[in-house]
Amino acid sequence: MSRFSAWVNKRLPVDETIREHMTEYFAPRNFNILYYAGSLLLLMIVLQLISGFFLMAHYVPTSQDAFASVQGIMYDTKWGWLIRYMHVDGVSLIFILLYTHMFRGLLYGSHRAPRELVWVIGYVIYLLMMAEAFVGYVLPFGNLSYWAGEVITSIMHALPVVGPSLTTLTRGGPGIGSATLQRFLALHVVLFFLIILAAIALHIVALHRVGSNNPDGIDIKKHKGPDGKPLDGVPFHPYYTVKDLFGVGVWLTIFVSVIFYAPTMHGVFMERTTFLAANPMVSLPDVTPPWYLSPYYAMLRAVPNKYYGIAIMITSVLLPLLLPWLDRNPVRSSRYRPVYRIMLIVAGISFIILAWIGQEPPLPKYFLIERVATALYLGFYLLLPFVSMIEPTRPVPERVTG
Amino acid sequence: MSTYRYLCFLLVSMLIPGIAWGAENTVHWMTPHYTFNRTTVIAGARYFADHCMACHSVSSLRYEYLRADLGMTKKEVEEDIMLPNGAAWKGQIVSPMPPDMAAKWLGKPPPNLSHMDRYLGSKFIYTYLLSFYWDPARPSGWNNYVFPMVAMPNILAPWGGTVGPKGQVIFPGRLSPAEYHKNVADVVAFLRYASDPSYFTRMAIGPYVIGIMVLFTILAYFLKAAYWIDLKKKRK
Amino acid sequence: MTIVTDSEHGHKNITRRRFLAAATSAVGAVVAGMVAVPLVDSLEPTAAAEAASSTTVDLTPIEPGMQVTVPWQKKPVIIINRTPEMLATLKETMQKGILKDPLCKVPQQPPYCTNMYRSRVPEWYVGIRICNHLCCIPHYRPKKGSVAPWWLGGFHCPCHGSMYDLSARVIQGSPAPHNMAVPEYELSTEKMSATITHMYPKAHLC
Ligand code: HEM
Ligand code: FES
Repeated sequence: MSRFSAWVNKRLPVDETIREHMTEYFAPRNFNILYYAGSLLLLMIVLQLISGFFLMAHYVPTSQDAFASVQGIMYDTKWGWLIRYMHVDGVSLIFILLYTHMFRGLLYGSHRAPRELVWVIGYVIYLLMMAEAFVGYVLPFGNLSYWAGEVITSIMHALPVVGPSLTTLTRGGPGIGSATLQRFLALHVVLFFLIILAAIALHIVALHRVGSNNPDGIDIKKHKGPDGKPLDGVPFHPYYTVKDLFGVGVWLTIFVSVIFYAPTMHGVFMERTTFLAANPMVSLPDVTPPWYLSPYYAMLRAVPNKYYGIAIMITSVLLPLLLPWLDRNPVRSSRYRPVYRIMLIVAGISFIILAWIGQEPPLPKYFLIERVATALYLGFYLLLPFVSMIEPTRPVPERVTG
Repeated sequence: MSTYRYLCFLLVSMLIPGIAWGAENTVHWMTPHYTFNRTTVIAGARYFADHCMACHSVSSLRYEYLRADLGMTKKEVEEDIMLPNGAAWKGQIVSPMPPDMAAKWLGKPPPNLSHMDRYLGSKFIYTYLLSFYWDPARPSGWNNYVFPMVAMPNILAPWGGTVGPKGQVIFPGRLSPAEYHKNVADVVAFLRYASDPSYFTRMAIGPYVIGIMVLFTILAYFLKAAYWIDLKKKRK
Repeated sequence: MTIVTDSEHGHKNITRRRFLAAATSAVGAVVAGMVAVPLVDSLEPTAAAEAASSTTVDLTPIEPGMQVTVPWQKKPVIIINRTPEMLATLKETMQKGILKDPLCKVPQQPPYCTNMYRSRVPEWYVGIRICNHLCCIPHYRPKKGSVAPWWLGGFHCPCHGSMYDLSARVIQGSPAPHNMAVPEYELSTEKMSATITHMYPKAHLC
């Protein structure tokens, strides 16, 4: 064994990588429950790849057969329902994890220096996941797919200068059809997916370069023992590997419960309009995006002007990229910044309200809430540069707590 | 799901412009009272084969699934469900009515009902089936409170009875209202199974799958505790 | 912080860790298997493919002495309407003792075809027209003397010369080891139709 491993290690840095990223990567010992999301996202991405592979073994990307082939998976393929529910419910669970993971970052100031790139790369993954999810739910070619494709590509149409040609390029023709399905499939399984995998690798490398943050937002490398190891750190392996394994157990229990007992989550994880074949002659009773995209959709609707609406939506999608630089306070964690904490929670609640309203029909009774929530959400970003300079802070401890 | 949404759907899907109805507040959605199990689904399948399959397909299902999922015997399926039109045991459950003929007779082809329950919901289907009334102005003689200008005739009238536009009974049905409502609820149960055929499999193996995941989680918890004890000792 | 090392815990905790690690891995392996089995299973032919996999052939146009060859699951299936004279040759080949497996002991056909006709109904031969040697499609040579002076009628393979009688039983001296395969089928002389349903699982095609 040792001669073999010496032979390999001379040629491939296996042991060195394990040491650098596992056994001698020191993570703060005070991670809380929110820190499970990162490793669970890795797990879920792998599960999507696996279930996706088996779906693709049966899927036919033509406007004639796409819907029937997906129903064939549900009815005629052995265990096809399990695979499809894994893939479809997996998406919603991934977005739950993504929002938890990002909110955790903002709570403890993980996006602040020196982890700006970890945040930016992470946010790019989030944007790519939204694109991945969108091209993905056009594929089964239910009526929701058709109209979602139609609506989103026409949002592109409104972009200045490039809009019309970009729309035709995306659709591959005047409308959503076989050409669209084939290029969306290529994007879904090749281009977007590979970029997401690469970005995840960069995300983790960037994090390990600077080290993990923690709920107190303080630097564990400031206090090292005589052996040069951080006093408040523990080796990632075995301590966090076994801890994450427990997280995996809890999470997969939730996942299988969803698959077996609420696979459509009452029309939230799988909208009812996905059960009707695409029909260009029959518009949907309600054109609403899936829950994880609906906050932006609600912001679009909140503005009574097509171009400003789209502008507000794009702004709100892109603003978080700037967060590391919008925040000027030297203290990272919201534990010691009560004002920031309140702002963050208000923005979070507004986001959830927008997610709910985005799923409702566009009735005038919602306009007021919609606008207030949009203002509160965007207000967080606009006020942060000023508030962060003058807000009161509590004393930050020297060593991690809890 | 709000009434408003259904009405929007109906309006658009029927592609009949310019009909106005004030039903928005008068529709009273009824919940089918049934236990969703193999017995009700099988009863519903039989009822469906007798009354609905002349026009409607549930083509995502195959006859053999009624044995695999519901536990009917091949003989029962062949005698009670399969139509004597040369349907194949492994074949899809399709109505013998040619779609173009159907369009001619009824004005539009009867929809495939494979996914209808997940699309419209059990409440809608149940209420719809119980909301026909006699309306001589319609070509078929039938109209419906929740689906105005419906093309489908009230094929269940001999059993459920005929009511007029205001709900007055014109002819009583052969069945008591309770019996009749039970039959309709069974059909709804069958359509729910048709749109979610993995249901019985999921219920059968779900507890074991969750059980093993819980076992894994418990073991992982103790494993974690056996390592993290190091840190507890340190802090003392 | 300094982590307390294993030795400081004493032996007990180490065995505990080992045991728990082993138990967790074992259950983890079961979970992985539980996912893997249905995933691989999903690659089996779907119910739709199975439904489409049977072929029904109308027998009315096949006159006595004639044959048709129809594609079934991407394989040629021959259906021969054998005359009494043709059926008589089957006994003759057996009497001559030139067959490798005259009694069809090798399960190259479903049990209901394990007879010298290798069919459900003597007149109607239904079989896969693929040479048991290396998968060529043999020529159908019903005429006496057409392949050799002693030839009583049967199949002759153009690839390596395998010979079969009119029940597709292989004749000695052929490179093919077994009789040609017969699939599972239903046949009704009332409806004059044959439905080929699936491969007889024990039969060895080539
Ligand atoms: C599929 C997508 C993603 C995967 C697989 C992933 C994976 C991970 C992993 C394994 C960690 C280390 C463990 C942890 O701290 O939880 C991590 C940390 C982090 N991620 Fe992600 N991530 C993803 C998306 C994102 C997104 C969308 C953002 C933000 C926009 C983000 C921001 C961060 C930050 C700031 C950290 C450092 C946390 C800290 O040190 O306190 N990640 N990520
Ligand atoms: S393949 Fe027929 S004899 Fe070789």
